[in-house]
Amino acid sequence: MINDDDIIAAISSGYVESAIGIIRVSGKHSLELLKKVFHSKKCDYKSNKIYYGFLKDSSSKIIDEVLVSVFKAPHSYTGEDSFEINCHGGLLIMRNVLELILENGARLAEPGEFTKRAFFNNKIDLVQAHAIANLIQSKTQKALDIAFNQLLKKNTTIIDNLREKITFLMAENEVIIDHPDENLSTSNLKEKLILLSEITHLIENLLNHAKKGQYFFEGANVAIIGKPNVGKSSLLNLLVGFNRAIVTEIPGTTTDIVSEVINLNGIPLKILDTAGIRQHSNEIEFIGIQKTKEMIDNADLLIAVFDSSRNFSDEDKVILDIIKYKKNVVTVLNKSDLPKKFNFTFLSDPINISCENKKGIDDLKNRLYSTLLEDYNESEIISLNTSQVLALKSALKQAKRIAKSYKKFLDPALISIELQQLADYIEQIIGKIENEDILDNVFKNFCVGK
Amino acid sequence: MYIYPKKYDCIVIGGGHAGCEAALICARLNLNTLLITISVDAIGAMSCNPAIGGLAKGHLVKEVDIFGGEMARNIDETGLQFKILNRSKGPAVWSSRAQADMPAYRLRMKHMLEHQNHLEVKQATVDEIVVEDGKIKGVITNIGNEFLCDALIIASGTFLKGKIFIGLKEFHAGRAWEPPADKLSESLAKAGLVIGRLKTGTTPRLDARTIDFDALEPQLGDENPIAFSFKTKNFNPPNYPCYLAYTNEQTHTVIRSNLDKSPLYSGMIHGIGTRYCPSIEDKVVKFPDRERHQIFLEPQDANSNEIYADGLNTSLDYEVQIAYLRTIKGLENVEIVRPGYAIEYDFVNPIQLKHTLETKKVRGLFLAGQINGTSGYEEAAAQGMVAGINAAMYLMDKEPFILGRDEAYSGVMIDDLVTRGVKEPYRIFTSRAEYRLLLREDNTHFRLADKSYRYGLIDKEHYALIQEHIKKLNETLSHFKNTYVMPTPQFNKKLESINTKPIKTKVSLSKLLARPEVNYKTLQIILNNLPDLNETEIQQLEIEIKYEGYINLQKQQIEKFKKMENIIIPDNFNYDNIPGLSAEIKMRLKEVLPKTLGQAMRIPGMTPVAIQIISIFLHKKNVQSKPA
Repeated sequence: MINDDDIIAAISSGYVESAIGIIRVSGKHSLELLKKVFHSKKCDYKSNKIYYGFLKDSSSKIIDEVLVSVFKAPHSYTGEDSFEINCHGGLLIMRNVLELILENGARLAEPGEFTKRAFFNNKIDLVQAHAIANLIQSKTQKALDIAFNQLLKKNTTIIDNLREKITFLMAENEVIIDHPDENLSTSNLKEKLILLSEITHLIENLLNHAKKGQYFFEGANVAIIGKPNVGKSSLLNLLVGFNRAIVTEIPGTTTDIVSEVINLNGIPLKILDTAGIRQHSNEIEFIGIQKTKEMIDNADLLIAVFDSSRNFSDEDKVILDIIKYKKNVVTVLNKSDLPKKFNFTFLSDPINISCENKKGIDDLKNRLYSTLLEDYNESEIISLNTSQVLALKSALKQAKRIAKSYKKFLDPALISIELQQLADYIEQIIGKIENEDILDNVFKNFCVGK
Repeated sequence: MYIYPKKYDCIVIGGGHAGCEAALICARLNLNTLLITISVDAIGAMSCNPAIGGLAKGHLVKEVDIFGGEMARNIDETGLQFKILNRSKGPAVWSSRAQADMPAYRLRMKHMLEHQNHLEVKQATVDEIVVEDGKIKGVITNIGNEFLCDALIIASGTFLKGKIFIGLKEFHAGRAWEPPADKLSESLAKAGLVIGRLKTGTTPRLDARTIDFDALEPQLGDENPIAFSFKTKNFNPPNYPCYLAYTNEQTHTVIRSNLDKSPLYSGMIHGIGTRYCPSIEDKVVKFPDRERHQIFLEPQDANSNEIYADGLNTSLDYEVQIAYLRTIKGLENVEIVRPGYAIEYDFVNPIQLKHTLETKKVRGLFLAGQINGTSGYEEAAAQGMVAGINAAMYLMDKEPFILGRDEAYSGVMIDDLVTRGVKEPYRIFTSRAEYRLLLREDNTHFRLADKSYRYGLIDKEHYALIQEHIKKLNETLSHFKNTYVMPTPQFNKKLESINTKPIKTKVSLSKLLARPEVNYKTLQIILNNLPDLNETEIQQLEIEIKYEGYINLQKQQIEKFKKMENIIIPDNFNYDNIPGLSAEIKMRLKEVLPKTLGQAMRIPGMTPVAIQIISIFLHKKNVQSKPA
């Protein structure tokens, strides 16, 4: 509960686009962490001073150019060694900086935790402490409103169903153990496996909903692909609204990946312009193409661009091969202002665009949004934090393990531990399943008791 | 008023399963003890079913045994049939159960009490408790005698304002036709305890001569029975059969059409009944789709013709009881000896108790058994044992005897009682124990011997014996972990002969034994240098090796659990001064007064946020109380 030695970190300026982002870090060994990631010519880590420098990751890649304020115990807000990073205020930058800090040994602060530490270290008196208790109460409540309550309101059926099914499996298992001579009819292996697959399905469903919700909080990656000189960079510029990528008439100008973030109806959409994919290329381009392939694999959505003013080529065929097995693809026919040389009839519902005349961009944006959210109704989308998503994924694995255990006819005493683990993983999502809940289920569903 | 001139260290009210254990343990710890009972003839009586043990209950019996109680020895000497339940499942959930010869059980227990040093038994009905300055002083009987004591254990069972229902008829009784204790609960209320009301029931007892046993399925006990007590030697009990019968549609029709004659369904009974021990009328109403319900016909006594009809507890009218019984195959001509009945009684919500079973209101006053809202002989005995030990510790001014949820089923039960309180009669289940894999019946003595010895509840000889067993088990375990077999063709052939896969690399014996299809006995066929172990030792070795991963997992969980249990909440902690806690949560906290943050977490309705806030203020208090 109280981990005084942990280093805690949080974006204290709030996770919104702004000119400057502030990341606050506190903890006994926080300055050692700072020394690992902060590269500055003049920094001597004296208290109450501000230093200029760069944050770099372990491969010495620059994350951002920053100002760091150092506060040493006890002369800090929390009373511990701590520091604050002023970085650029873009969402992605703030996230990258926070991730760097977390990767180097800090953990995400709980709501009100900085203030809590200030209180522990006698930086705040008892009167203020009352306010803090209320603050934790209300902040946690807010977090709950956003995640849990929202979940409950929007997905009552999924959550209730999931909880009921897991509780039933637990109850049945307990009936088998605690009432052996009562000849009760419990479900057979096949029925249990069906129930488990329903549980798996419900968890997957939640994950899918959450995945969409994550787009709103953490953004989505969109990769633009197409043969050289099809107008990928122009499209990027058009989407972003200013010249970012170098646009020339020479095929293969974009050798590295160029990215920009736009706001797509609330989703921070990171658009990546790729090196054109073609069959013959020189060495430099090849590196770009390797990166392109990785990027395609990691993208949440692909924009495949074709040129309707030119004939279908083998290079277009390469693109078709790539998108054939991808789920989230939006196809675009560029240069719709020019006479059509070829009808791309085999593309399903392409969007006609003219980068030159800036036409069709709104259609494209709408399509990008609807494709990202698939069939999910916007109002059903939930936001889960990373730990909740990880918990659901662990629960999926656990459900598979339990299925195996059932098939092996594992001892119910051990099955019970595995079921308990499953319930524990998603406790923060479905609520704690108490022994009383299991017993209630036993008495409801089984006629036990001599 | 006559004040009896002799003052006792401890008085126990009630001669049932809680009272007997409490009195015996107090006396065995050299306290001058007096047991007062309404009927000396009924000491050790089994009011309901003629069985001891069962799932999780068997655990309790063995815990009573290791901590110096009598129940295990008593059933070993007077059992009619012994059986390990759940044999078809893994050994972690095996449980012992025995059918008892009820009069023999009762008489032996009475004999033990009568021959116990420092223990006196007196027949009387206690009307009042005497409290002075918040401390117990003594008791006053219904004929105006006062007996003085420094500690009092009340184990009054269902006798407090007991009221029996048979159909729409009701009369006052503590058990069957014995007189109730009508005044004691008022005296407890005067002392500040909140009294509630519960209900339970029992089944008709049948005349064996009128049962057609040939039409029923006999069920015997184990051929190689295992004793409950680690002290029992030369165990050779009888093996009387029980018989299995079934209700049918006709039975259910009779019951359904007579529900208006049930005090339960006509609203006469206000006490709350148990869901896990439902009456036959409840079963028929709640599970209308079930075509039949099982009934176990169990012998009550080796020498009499009374048969206990387990599964038929009822409060229906006498006439209806006869009618539905006679619809059952094998019972067509049955005669009832004693009818089934429901009983309503006063209880004290155990939320008013400490883990020692002492009341928070009155120092030196301990409660045990059904008065705390539990049901079952074993639950009662375990509480009697804990209350007895703690009364002694209280009088000797020694460290209280508290069993953790990670230590014993008794600990799980008492923590549940004092933390969650009771809404319906409480019964123990293995599912209530978080660390079921570690809290097994087979290792009860090994787990708890140290604690028992520390509190002076086990003698040196027995303790040494247990130590020896533990040593042997540990040696065998390390032998299995450190002895390897080679993948020679000869050895692989042997492996195939016991239907398990050959090995490709050298493998430890424990790896081999961990295979599901391999057990100690099959290994003995192919390996001739294995140590000679008895059944129990083999069982323990197999559990330790086969369940190792799961056992380690539970050990880790216990470590986590202990972290929270080690955060102590001081007795004078003021919840009113803490902002951010809801009024309801404050009320519950003040009611339970949790000893640790871990216990606070287990209070129903507690939220993680509330726990966090409490932890902040606990920490603050610690920081402030530290010298600057």
